[in-house]
Amino acid sequence: MSSVEPAAQGDAGPAGTASARDVALGYEPPAGRGERRVWIPLGGSHSAGTLSEFQRKRLLGAVLEVKPEPETRLVLLGVDVDGLRPAGRAALRDRIAFLPADGGLLSNLNAWENIVLPIGFHQPGQLPGVAAQVGALLEGLGADPRDLLAKLPERMTPYEKKLTGYVRIALENPDLVLAEEPQGGLDSAERAAAARFAAMYLERRPGGTFVQLEVARER
Amino acid sequence: MIGVYREFEGCMRLAGHVLRRLPALALPPVAEALTRQIYFTGASATAGIVLRGAFIGTFIIAYVIDVLEADAALAVKILVWVVLREMGPLIAAVLVIQRSGTAITTELALMQISGEVASLRQMRIDPRDYLVVPRVVGVALSTAALTVYVQVIAVGGGMLLSSLTIDASLGELTGEFFALASPVDFVYAVIKSFLFGAAIALVCCYHGLHPPGTSINAVPKAAINGVTQSTLLVLLLNVVFAYLVFGQAFFGLVTAKL
Repeated sequence: MSSVEPAAQGDAGPAGTASARDVALGYEPPAGRGERRVWIPLGGSHSAGTLSEFQRKRLLGAVLEVKPEPETRLVLLGVDVDGLRPAGRAALRDRIAFLPADGGLLSNLNAWENIVLPIGFHQPGQLPGVAAQVGALLEGLGADPRDLLAKLPERMTPYEKKLTGYVRIALENPDLVLAEEPQGGLDSAERAAAARFAAMYLERRPGGTFVQLEVARER
Repeated sequence: MIGVYREFEGCMRLAGHVLRRLPALALPPVAEALTRQIYFTGASATAGIVLRGAFIGTFIIAYVIDVLEADAALAVKILVWVVLREMGPLIAAVLVIQRSGTAITTELALMQISGEVASLRQMRIDPRDYLVVPRVVGVALSTAALTVYVQVIAVGGGMLLSSLTIDASLGELTGEFFALASPVDFVYAVIKSFLFGAAIALVCCYHGLHPPGTSINAVPKAAINGVTQSTLLVLLLNVVFAYLVFGQAFFGLVTAKL
């Protein structure tokens, strides 16, 4: 696992002119809006630092729709998004996964159904082999698949929700994972387990990039 | 007025999406959602809906026979025209609105407000594919099936009741019924109730996905909008259908000049 690096990379060059080639996630907002520049290199595990709720919303909106706000530069997986056609943006989006702080689970589906939902949509042919992978991932992170998989989100602990969300994105083998507060709201043992999300992802996807976002919640 | 137009346009767009994306039903999660919807609307509610529908149908016949002092021919005409063509589909539709329409709107509005719809988008899943397509198809199929059940039991109950209250045997009434009823009546009722079901689910899904706010208070408002508008739409479709197929609506009060 690579070391966690600070969000703003000093080798990126001046805003607006930096090369996109080796960048997994580059976000350059216009000056004067109070947002920070985020510049994450390709490969390994990194932290994007602590973002304001405003910037979190802007950044995630831009990345997940592959469409930045006007005057904002967005680089994803070495590609400057601005010059892409819709098909290129869609292809890029398929290589990115997002793990929300609460796992992003659907409340009327149990853990298993939540895990296989995106696979069932995007790669239904892979469904038959998924059970073994899910079992291995859960056991590797210290969870009992028999106990967890039948649970509805309302009966899960915060860690189980994050774990379920993590397994769901891990199965898709994305090139870039954006994980929001993967260790937030957990006790020390759970934090230790959640800290292994990035390492397990990089074992499965060598060359992939795992980015952790922290959010400064407004009180 | 603009709001009404927007809602109408939104429902029409949603209907277009459902038609275009029917192949999504082959995807395992969508097929599972379809099965759940059919089970919820068409199977788990069958006993209650059919019993209530049959009671209503039978009481209509009983009152009409009593008020009009009907003979066998008139009793069977009432059964075919009122119960088979009109009341069967309408009763099933109203009961589906009560049970499934409210559930769909509430569930989707809660999903929208709690961010679960956004979660689907984050998974690159079009919420309309996963949430709307199986609900529309499932409710449409279930409403058609429930209509058949209601018709069979209401007509059967009506004939039984008629044989007890007027001077005609059950065999005589059955003979009259099969002489008067045609396959068109049955097909008309089934197609109509299929469209009723699709319209109910579309309107309720639309209001569920567009709650009038982001607080929990928006959920009951969305449910009220879904139920009232789907009821109005069903009544409107019923009139249009009756006029187009039989040249008359409101049980003959409005007649086509062909």
